[in-house]
Amino acid sequence: MAVWNLIIGNPVLNVLIALSYLLGGSFGWAIIVLTIIIRLISWPLTKRQLKSTKALQEMQPKIQELQKKYGKNQQKLQQEMMKLYKEAGVNPLGCLWPMLIQFPIWIALYQAIMRALATTPENLLDLAQRLYSWDVVSQAIPLNSHFLGLDLGSPGNIVLAIIVGGTMWVQQKMTQAPAVDPRQESTSRMMLLMMPLMFGFLTFMFPSGLALYWAVSNIIGIVTQYFVTGGWGYLKFSSPFQRASVKGK
Amino acid sequence: MATTLYLSHIMKQAKILFLVVIALLPLILVSCWGGASVAGGWAGTAFRDGIIYVGTRDGRVVAINASTQSQQWDYAANAAIYTTPILDDDLGYVGTYSGRVLALNTTARSQDLSFPQKRYSEWEWNCPTENAGSNAIVADFLASEDSIYVSSSNGRVYSLDKKSGDLNWQSEVLDKEHGKIWTSPVIQGNTLFVSTFDGHIYALSLETGVVLDWSFEWEAGFVSSPVIDADVIYVGSFDRHLYALEIGGNQSLWRFPQEKPAANWFWASPAVNEGVVYAGCLDGRLYAINATTGQELWSYMTEDQKDKPSPIISSPVLMDNLLIVVNESGTVYVFDLTEENREEGVPLEPISIGADVKSSFCAQDGLVYIRSENNSVYVVDIDEGKVAEGWPVSLAIEK
Repeated sequence: MAVWNLIIGNPVLNVLIALSYLLGGSFGWAIIVLTIIIRLISWPLTKRQLKSTKALQEMQPKIQELQKKYGKNQQKLQQEMMKLYKEAGVNPLGCLWPMLIQFPIWIALYQAIMRALATTPENLLDLAQRLYSWDVVSQAIPLNSHFLGLDLGSPGNIVLAIIVGGTMWVQQKMTQAPAVDPRQESTSRMMLLMMPLMFGFLTFMFPSGLALYWAVSNIIGIVTQYFVTGGWGYLKFSSPFQRASVKGK
Repeated sequence: MATTLYLSHIMKQAKILFLVVIALLPLILVSCWGGASVAGGWAGTAFRDGIIYVGTRDGRVVAINASTQSQQWDYAANAAIYTTPILDDDLGYVGTYSGRVLALNTTARSQDLSFPQKRYSEWEWNCPTENAGSNAIVADFLASEDSIYVSSSNGRVYSLDKKSGDLNWQSEVLDKEHGKIWTSPVIQGNTLFVSTFDGHIYALSLETGVVLDWSFEWEAGFVSSPVIDADVIYVGSFDRHLYALEIGGNQSLWRFPQEKPAANWFWASPAVNEGVVYAGCLDGRLYAINATTGQELWSYMTEDQKDKPSPIISSPVLMDNLLIVVNESGTVYVFDLTEENREEGVPLEPISIGADVKSSFCAQDGLVYIRSENNSVYVVDIDEGKVAEGWPVSLAIEK
């Protein structure tokens, strides 16, 4: 725990507080700017993930062809799909790693937000032991937790929960190809709904500051995805009529 | 064939891992010390007529007979208590983190009667939340002859009638930026002085609560409750300096340290005696400062059992010619302030109670009454130089 705080926890906390001072005492803007910084740092990973996603999208017609051809023989289908992935140089699990790598960042940011806002006297006292001796840090403390009508230290904001859930759905929808197999279709539809619902729920349960990070991070994700993959991806096939026409082709 | 099975296995595992991780995300975040510690309270002790009064970590107000070490009564306030009880006649006043101010009568509480008992002059007052989101009472009360003064997390200061609990007045929201006041006010003449997290010292009319013309503004917020001695306010700031401000003046008389700031905040209010300011710092050091010039006379680093600096959270207390300092690790230091010894800055033999201390403490007749973080009360005998008593505050109530 001491190593975690030394390497990740306390640096994130102090950078967040320093940013807050540099941005005119606005903790909300500090979270937004830190989110952008984190997205910039993780850009090489994101770029790789997006390229992999784009390659997977481009392979969809071939995958669907294989599914039609070997639909009844799952083992053969898997074999052929793997061959296809290998030939294209695509790792289908590649999209998981950026998500897992973001976990420590979420935890560090959650801790930083709660510690920086010091909602209880115990938190304020604890904060004193974690601050660097930077002038910008000492002059920013204690932070103002209010931002655009939000109390960044308090949970239970339904609007943010909807924004986070909605943006997550859009981001997922842009990359998730419609499945040909009805069983796969229902599984992927469930996944598509479950993730945004889960994150919407988490947003509601956790402080608004963390929700702000998720919302901004999702919006940046959508924008970068749009430009790197060249459009809205599978989001444009979202209406049932369009979906039917795709299936009918 | 093997590769196919392997791929299929990987895909299944990844999906399961993904779902498990997502489902466990809240637990992961919280278990990794989410950063939000629950308000536990660190109420200090008050002592009168052989009884120790204290708020506990589980939200009770407890009266303990010091000679028999048994609880005379306790009252469940059902919320964290940070305020040290204030005693007046048969009433004890405490505030809770849920915004309640309670006047508890010792006789009524001894009989375990329902609360409040009007015939015993008991009352309760609930601090309004307004739009601040919190009405928590964190700072110790200040009492005058007829009133008590309450700082609230809604940013206001309230004056309540001691006898009835009626509201005399409420101030305007003083800390508009943070919306909370966690420091105690202090009285000088007919004026109440309040320090705020947004870097102001306000002067309020004691009669009406109206903000008076004079105020002091600083670029960093004030972390400690102000102390007044000879028309000078001493207050600790988040910029790791201690400030001396002349009432009515526009600039600080001095700040300490004058150049490079201290290693941490002056969280505890200082004690002033014979022209010397004794200030405990969260860096673990006790500083003796010339009250006129702001020059350091001496300093002493307090330590824990492993000889590492331990923060001073509790305000130093003066008892006769002795200055008593308790650091977070529960080590009690006693400094002799008699004329021949006051310039040395060397304590008598330190006494350890063996438990962490965050709350204020009281001292009387050579005994120091300390509430520790492990929910125990310790009595330290200064003359004997040892811990005389130490017992948990969950003992059976004496009937």
